[in-house]
Amino acid sequence: MERLHPRVRLLWALSSVVRTSVLAAIAFAVDRFLLALPQAAIAAGWLVLVLAGVGRALLAHRIWRFELQDDALFLIRGVVTRTDTSVPYVRVQHVDTTRGPLERSVGLASVVVYTAGSRGADITIPGLRPERATELRERLRDLAIESEATDAV
Amino acid sequence: MTRLHPRSAVVRVARGALQGAFFGFFAGSVGAGTAFLPALSVPLVAVFGALLGGGYALARYLRFRYELDGDTLSVDSGVFARQSRQIPLGRVQNVDVEQNVVNRLLGLAVVRFETAGGSATEATLDAVDEAEVDRLRNYVRRRDREPAADSGSTMGAGQFDAGGPTDDALAGSDRDESADSIGPASADSEPDGELLFEFGWRELLTYAVVSVRPAAPVLTLAGLPLGMDVVRIALRFNADLVGVSEALRPWLFGSPEGTRLLVFAALTVAQFLLLALAVSVVLTVVEYHGFRLTRANGDLRYERGLLRRYSGNIPLEKVQTLTVRENVLMRRFGYASLVVETAGYSGGDQQSTQGVAVPLAARDEVYELARDIEPFGDLDFERPPVRARRRYVARFSLAAGGLTAVAYAVDSLVFETGYWWVALALFLPVVPAAHLRWRHRGVDLDDDVLATRSGFWRRTTRIVPYYRLQTVFVTRSPFQRRRDLATVGADTASSASLLGGVARAYDLDEAAAVELREELRRRLTAHIATRRRDDSVDDDAAVGDDSDPDDSVTSETAATDDEATASEEPTARDDAATGDEAARDDDAATGDE
Repeated sequence: MERLHPRVRLLWALSSVVRTSVLAAIAFAVDRFLLALPQAAIAAGWLVLVLAGVGRALLAHRIWRFELQDDALFLIRGVVTRTDTSVPYVRVQHVDTTRGPLERSVGLASVVVYTAGSRGADITIPGLRPERATELRERLRDLAIESEATDAV
Repeated sequence: MTRLHPRSAVVRVARGALQGAFFGFFAGSVGAGTAFLPALSVPLVAVFGALLGGGYALARYLRFRYELDGDTLSVDSGVFARQSRQIPLGRVQNVDVEQNVVNRLLGLAVVRFETAGGSATEATLDAVDEAEVDRLRNYVRRRDREPAADSGSTMGAGQFDAGGPTDDALAGSDRDESADSIGPASADSEPDGELLFEFGWRELLTYAVVSVRPAAPVLTLAGLPLGMDVVRIALRFNADLVGVSEALRPWLFGSPEGTRLLVFAALTVAQFLLLALAVSVVLTVVEYHGFRLTRANGDLRYERGLLRRYSGNIPLEKVQTLTVRENVLMRRFGYASLVVETAGYSGGDQQSTQGVAVPLAARDEVYELARDIEPFGDLDFERPPVRARRRYVARFSLAAGGLTAVAYAVDSLVFETGYWWVALALFLPVVPAAHLRWRHRGVDLDDDVLATRSGFWRRTTRIVPYYRLQTVFVTRSPFQRRRDLATVGADTASSASLLGGVARAYDLDEAAAVELREELRRRLTAHIATRRRDDSVDDDAAVGDDSDPDDSVTSETAATDDEATASEEPTARDDAATGDEAARDDDAATGDE
């Protein structure tokens, strides 16, 4: 089974820093304009959340795995609730590669697989090298075409 | 291209003018109050507003045109931002018709077309007259099964031919009603179809009672302007009646007057339940009066409603999931309700009632209809392993413990009555509740469908044909991991799954869950292959085939599907069945504890 690029840990850690900082900024704004909050607590909260985010990133990378099996894309993920998902190629509607600003900054890309289903209709594989992402997208597309479903919704 | 009915233009212009006048009046008043406009300007601004509002409504009416041509529904709309939309009829999931009181008086109705994509209703015709409703409905329905060949339609036929049915399909539906072979042009006289269910007053009231909604009065009271005052008055009345009003104060501060308080509580609860019953009855009667479910060549058609009439078509070949719901009362009296889910509705207003095919019927009849729609055998649910029950005990105990802790905290900090231990009574139902939850959960791998079941108060049984599966996922929460359990979810394109309606097999043994996932994948592949093979089956077999209801439904099911459509052939199905038999055997082996 294929694992994500190790740099995805950096990506996730960074994004957790960004998220937590936004929260902290809101908290500071509240403190400044609405009601007094203990600043030390905000800073401590920021630190705890960032550490948690980093820990989560490390764990998530250890758990995340995916594989192109004969008839389905198979993924294992989830730190707290562990989920494994199989997406039959027959059900793939379309495939995207995306690169957000943070992803670009660490040189990674994601592939998003869409199905017509309703829960988990879009499944993201993060932390891929851009070449690998493109290759994967094309491979998935080919597999989807090969399997050619008979029934549309 | 046709316009909507002129009478609807009158209604909409009137409504637009009224809104405009109201807004104008408001704006004028504000203007007169603050910007020192002369008082005379208020009616002038109001008139201007009315003209603007009415004019815009008229423009919208004039711009809105629609047309059924070949196998496409085209709709042009929009005054400033213009939109032109084409919907291949083969992709239409549901056609719903709604008549509010005004439209009923005018003989008009609103028609909505739903497809699987998009985030809102794809086309709303507001409004057309009743004859046109029938024409649209019949056209769409017949279009689904008829050769696209006849139409000289320009792009529709060529471009969307993928959805276009073939002759086999026509033959398939003609088996049931030979009168149906008339072309779309003369399609107006539609036989009413076979009546499946009908509500008289008896059924209506039974339904109202067994589906009593305890939340209904809360919502109603909260919705009324004086709702809270009504509640207060009722409470005060009760208090005076029992003579508890002077006891209430001391109760808050420490010395409860037991019996009176109990009477007070019992009285209030009884009133609340009565009110809930009354409100439920009223709501149910208003919603479901005159409910009828009929079937005509491959569609279910429902009608219901006392003031606002709803009717709609559920195409059976588009069915993604069947859901059977039974609450405690319904189970007690042997009733059930059936929801037929398609991929049509995409959020928004109709969630509460979408796809409800049968609100209430005897359990057997519900299952009979379900089997008619999507053939499956007897469901024999396998319960989760016994250790799952221990998990529920642990979980409910945690909840009870948490609530007791809260009660203790609140009591010792605020009320100081010393009665916090009453909350310990919450531990009493823990074991029975866990048992009931365990008992009502289960999964069954039938030959043709996956069935899952869960819930005690409202037991929900979901029936998913294998060929409708989308993704399959296995989840394990930390608590499940401790006991080696996992939950398997099977997603379909059904729109109800947006609300968490995915078929889930809860708390299977870890290994069994993984095996189930693999099995579902295998069956999905096998069933799709079977259907594909059936598509290439020769025509005569389908035509010669007699009218076994099951077969006719499946044949129509096949008929929607892309490109090659054909009727399902018995032999091919037998193949599939035997193939599954083998698969089922080894599944049973692994399923064992």
